[in-house]
Amino acid sequence: MRRARPLLGTFVEIEAQGTADAIAAGALEQAVSAAFAAVALVHRLMSFHEPDSDLSRLNRSAATEPVAVHPWTAAVLRRARRLFHATAGLFDCAVGHDLARLGLLPAHDFGPGEAGDFSAVEFLPGNRFAFAARIALDLGGIAKGFAVDRAIAVLRAHGVREALVNAGGDMRVMGKTAQPIYIRHPTEPAQLLLAGTLQNGAIATSSPVATLNVVEGREASALLSASTRAPIVERASYSVVAPTCVVADALTKVLAQIERTDAPYFERFGASALIIPAAATDRKAA
Amino acid sequence: MRWTPFLAATAAILVTVPAKATVYFSTEQAQRAIFPGASFTSAGSNIWRVSTGGYFVVDRVIGKHEYITYAIGINANGTVKQIEIMTYNESYGYEVRNASWRAQFVGKSASSPLQLNADIKNVSGATLSCKHVTDGVKRVLASLKGR
Repeated sequence: MRRARPLLGTFVEIEAQGTADAIAAGALEQAVSAAFAAVALVHRLMSFHEPDSDLSRLNRSAATEPVAVHPWTAAVLRRARRLFHATAGLFDCAVGHDLARLGLLPAHDFGPGEAGDFSAVEFLPGNRFAFAARIALDLGGIAKGFAVDRAIAVLRAHGVREALVNAGGDMRVMGKTAQPIYIRHPTEPAQLLLAGTLQNGAIATSSPVATLNVVEGREASALLSASTRAPIVERASYSVVAPTCVVADALTKVLAQIERTDAPYFERFGASALIIPAAATDRKAA
Repeated sequence: MRWTPFLAATAAILVTVPAKATVYFSTEQAQRAIFPGASFTSAGSNIWRVSTGGYFVVDRVIGKHEYITYAIGINANGTVKQIEIMTYNESYGYEVRNASWRAQFVGKSASSPLQLNADIKNVSGATLSCKHVTDGVKRVLASLKGR
């Protein structure tokens, strides 16, 4: 069974197959519906666009008073903190103000922003959070991967053994089949590269090309350098293969900044990095 | 996890996919999936009134490289019950806005899938936007107001 729905600002596709003892078609349909419901919940909790999402409540109020959030939002923030520290601050979700300034996220009533990074997020008991500065978080670099992982977990809990969840290019496969994985060429979209085969793992790809535009006469994209806050405008694509999609998704944002596949944290997370440059001939892989 | 990369080799395997079609649902299948057990009465072009209340609408949107048909289930109170993509056709090098190109997909259903590179899936890439579908849903909801 293969289904697709518009969620998380993209198309989420779920393909699920039964076990050897064949779970009934009705049960398979229920499993896929439940997996979509998990993705929809992540969308509602972590959307920058929805004014009532956990994320918008944090961005509006956490600099003034502690804000309690859903356990899944708290789980994403814990993973974001782990990735922030492991990458020496290169994975930084505190880019909401920067992306709004570039017109890549809607301007909200968050009040005047302050400079700061993810270290301004204070973790309090009971899934409550406070900000030490008026930062704005954007979970666009990690929530999609988290949603894919949740969908896979739901499918597994429903007895599904072979499945694929693809959220607009960030995907995870489950099961005993090694699946061929293609990567779309960043500048020649009709070209797909057969990158390898993947079993029980995830791959995510980011490219500045997807959000490339001109802001005040300068090129911009939604991928930012954590240190300079300047947009990355390289016509390449950055892919990371990892055991979970949340790690794969987040590490693509780091790979786009460092442009090298041998950073020690890739191995620490069990990940492989891969860069497809604009020119189709010169490829780096590790 | 087991990852077997091919790209480490000096010559990567390139596949050219000028057009690709994915069929998820026929109209009847989408109706059964969104409103199980209900019956449907035509209420205009691509609009059905649902026996249990509400509407079932099939709409199309054309993006830069894609032509998408999708179904919207609308509750009796006017809220969205469910959205399902029915067909996703993407094209590079053809003109998606060209009516004769799109015509080849009309009447295709999940039981008669197109064989345009139908085996190529699991494509990772920079995130595709679904904004044209969300805009389409808003347009359909606005057009149903006052019905």
